[in-house]
Amino acid sequence: MKYEAVIGLEIHVQLNSDTKMFCDCPNRPGDEPNRNTCPICLWLPGAIPRFSEEVLEKATLAALALNCEIQEENAFDQKVYYYPDLPKGFQLSQFHKPLARHGWVDIVDEEGRPKKIGIHQVHMEEDVAKLVHETEGRTPISLVDFNRAGTPLVEIVSKPDIRTPYEAMEYIKALRSQIRYVGSAECSMEQGTMRVDANISIRPRGSDEFNTKVEVKNMNSVHNVGDAIAYEITRQAERVDAGEAIVLHTRLWDPDKRITTAMRGKFEGPCVPDPSVPRITISEEWLHDVRSRLPEMPSQKVERFITQFGLTRDEAVLMSAERDLSEYFEAVTAYAVSPRTAFHWIATQLLPALKERDETIAVTAVTPERLAALLAMLEGDKVNARSARDVLSKLFESNDAPEAIVEQFGYAQVSDTSELEGIVATVLADNPQAIDDFRSGNEKALGFLIGQAMRASRGKANPKLIRDILGQKLG
Amino acid sequence: MTRDIFIHVDQDPPAAVRGGSLEGLTVSIQPNMSVRGWPTEAGSVALERYVALEDATVIGRLRNAGAVITGSTRMNELGFGVAGDTAHRAVSDGAVNVALVTDTMGEARLSAAAAALYGFKPSYGIVSRYGLIGLVPSMESFGIIAKTPTDIGAVLQAIAGHDDRDFSMSPATLDFNDPASRPATSATIGIVREALEMLDPDEARAFTAVVTRLEETGMTVRELSVEDYGLFPAVHTVVGSVEASSSAGKYDSVRYGHRAPASKNWNDMYLQSRAESFGLMVKTYLFQGAYFQFENYEAFENACRIRSRLVQQADALYKVADFILCPTLRNGMPPSDVCTVNDLYEFCASALPANVTGHPAMHIPGVLFGRETDPGFTLCAPHLGDVRLVSFASYLMNVAEGAK
Repeated sequence: MKYEAVIGLEIHVQLNSDTKMFCDCPNRPGDEPNRNTCPICLWLPGAIPRFSEEVLEKATLAALALNCEIQEENAFDQKVYYYPDLPKGFQLSQFHKPLARHGWVDIVDEEGRPKKIGIHQVHMEEDVAKLVHETEGRTPISLVDFNRAGTPLVEIVSKPDIRTPYEAMEYIKALRSQIRYVGSAECSMEQGTMRVDANISIRPRGSDEFNTKVEVKNMNSVHNVGDAIAYEITRQAERVDAGEAIVLHTRLWDPDKRITTAMRGKFEGPCVPDPSVPRITISEEWLHDVRSRLPEMPSQKVERFITQFGLTRDEAVLMSAERDLSEYFEAVTAYAVSPRTAFHWIATQLLPALKERDETIAVTAVTPERLAALLAMLEGDKVNARSARDVLSKLFESNDAPEAIVEQFGYAQVSDTSELEGIVATVLADNPQAIDDFRSGNEKALGFLIGQAMRASRGKANPKLIRDILGQKLG
Repeated sequence: MTRDIFIHVDQDPPAAVRGGSLEGLTVSIQPNMSVRGWPTEAGSVALERYVALEDATVIGRLRNAGAVITGSTRMNELGFGVAGDTAHRAVSDGAVNVALVTDTMGEARLSAAAAALYGFKPSYGIVSRYGLIGLVPSMESFGIIAKTPTDIGAVLQAIAGHDDRDFSMSPATLDFNDPASRPATSATIGIVREALEMLDPDEARAFTAVVTRLEETGMTVRELSVEDYGLFPAVHTVVGSVEASSSAGKYDSVRYGHRAPASKNWNDMYLQSRAESFGLMVKTYLFQGAYFQFENYEAFENACRIRSRLVQQADALYKVADFILCPTLRNGMPPSDVCTVNDLYEFCASALPANVTGHPAMHIPGVLFGRETDPGFTLCAPHLGDVRLVSFASYLMNVAEGAK
């Protein structure tokens, strides 16, 4: 393609503080409508906003997670526009004095090269109320649910450093992982706790000009962001090739038709310094205190998992993508289970099983302690791999110790040589053809015989011993 | 209590708290100060039938100190303007001891001056604004009108002090026991040259008489300069109207107040409801604010910059002077004639600088010459100089009483 895209993302993240931003109402937008409201978030006459320190902490942690410089002087501005979801007639946001500037996120581009995506600024703002339109009935009415009004958001504005849909998706994933690590937000696009708007323009490859951009909204998954950007790049390229000019406007991604459509021009109001929320001065001491609560970040953890546990880079990236998962992995290894076994079982058995059951690693009944006990039995030849898989699925349903489950259901591996020799003798007697095949050089026949012996033991034989005994007999 | 003074009278006030510093004191408020269960329409159709859900911080403090809140006096729409205010009449008629008013551009002092009373605006940020339905958050304050500085001081002491519900308050608190606040027998009083240059010959003569009289009572009077003094009204009107436009944005008819019937959609609902809600003065002011917000933001930024410079220049006066003396009322215009935004700014020109700077200011009625002939004057003090100012006013009153 002869064009190159210039992409910047504006990402709104809903912070998971206990309270709203300027009052003590619970930060739970999903509750029964208008339950979590008070004179301040309803902005009844005489109310004065009262800025929450908890929100400042969560926002600061998020900004630090994105390598930003926290600004000493913070202030709020009024973004003025009129809409029924905005009880004040303005939204409290930070325009002139944002919380943080000059951050970055590390990604790896399509060619496997490391790339830094710059962050212009991170600022705090309050969310608006939710409108519910009742169109059935004789008179259509609009209802307002103020539960979400005044809940805390941070907006993360990237620099126009992104060039491809792939880079955009990698940036979102890395940013999401880092913010989740510090515990400031859930960052779920599907559940609306993270909203991504993309500013896209194109230019001839090799040029360094910035052309008129188009804003695309309404993507509800990371993949949709990639698809919407790809669509928009193609659309703009076709327009430019047809000799049309790109005009500044906003488009909506239609996830069903998989296209973007132009939206009615949005009115952009002014940003006026707010006189009621006083300026916030962030002291060195306070910042130091918040900084000391930063956990080990994913990129550091990857390096440590490689050197400490001997994981490959891909494995280490997988195990550190989410903080809960990384802590789970480390907790299992702490129980004298080899890191490789722990990685293998978590990646190939536990995670799919959790997904199937719609559980999360943080709350599952399969605690690190219980998984470790199972894996210890596996490594100690007390159960074989096949039985261990069965035991794992039982761990989800019962609170019994893995040892008790093995005992109760008879999963213990048979390693008694005389018992195994008896089984092998029977198998050999029943399968003379397989013996002949093996002796005439067909290696597959050995696998068949091992399979028969395992079946005869109802899956409990130690497969390694079976193989040894067969080897001796057929020798 | 007459209906032309009071818009609401508490028929069944709670029993006064015994033993408090304000025991037995009666206080009127305005209907933009929240008292749970009281009609709180702030003189505007925009707040039609609005009843406050909780008490303003100030109300709780007054009641805890033993005061009885008797009712609310009539006020101009949203506190903008002076023509409809009746608070001073409640005091001069003897209906209450003290009236609380909203002071955004000098109202407490100007109303007091119209009735030969004391009128006081405290330092910005020492009295909680929680529950005050204001219009210009960075300039407005509860103001106090009373017959004596003693009553003003007592009320101030009861209502001042930090409130968790108002984060815009100053972290500093007033010290009512500070020995430096004891009545001074001498003080250096500054007069601002640029303020005097604005007076017409009659006003200048009256002002010079005050200065002479103060010198006779042992005060040192010094002429000082605030280079940009003439910009106070412009800064007030630009910043004030922008803040008013934002503050009044909440009157959208969605949650409370007047809603125009049968609107096609919500844009229509806003336009209709707001058109029916606001009077001409407020509309003009809101339009002006919207103009600076949307069309001439640079002028607003300049006004904010000039405001900080004015605060610095005003602060600097107090390196030399203990108090600044200025006229309160300009000659000529009675409050009832104030019916445009321009009239209002003209009327308030001498009083509004204290709202721009956040300094405390008190109107002192004609104690120096006898009340009938003397319109009185205003004394301003540095930020947090409230207690000294009240004490000094008491001293002047005593001197005058002694001279009789």
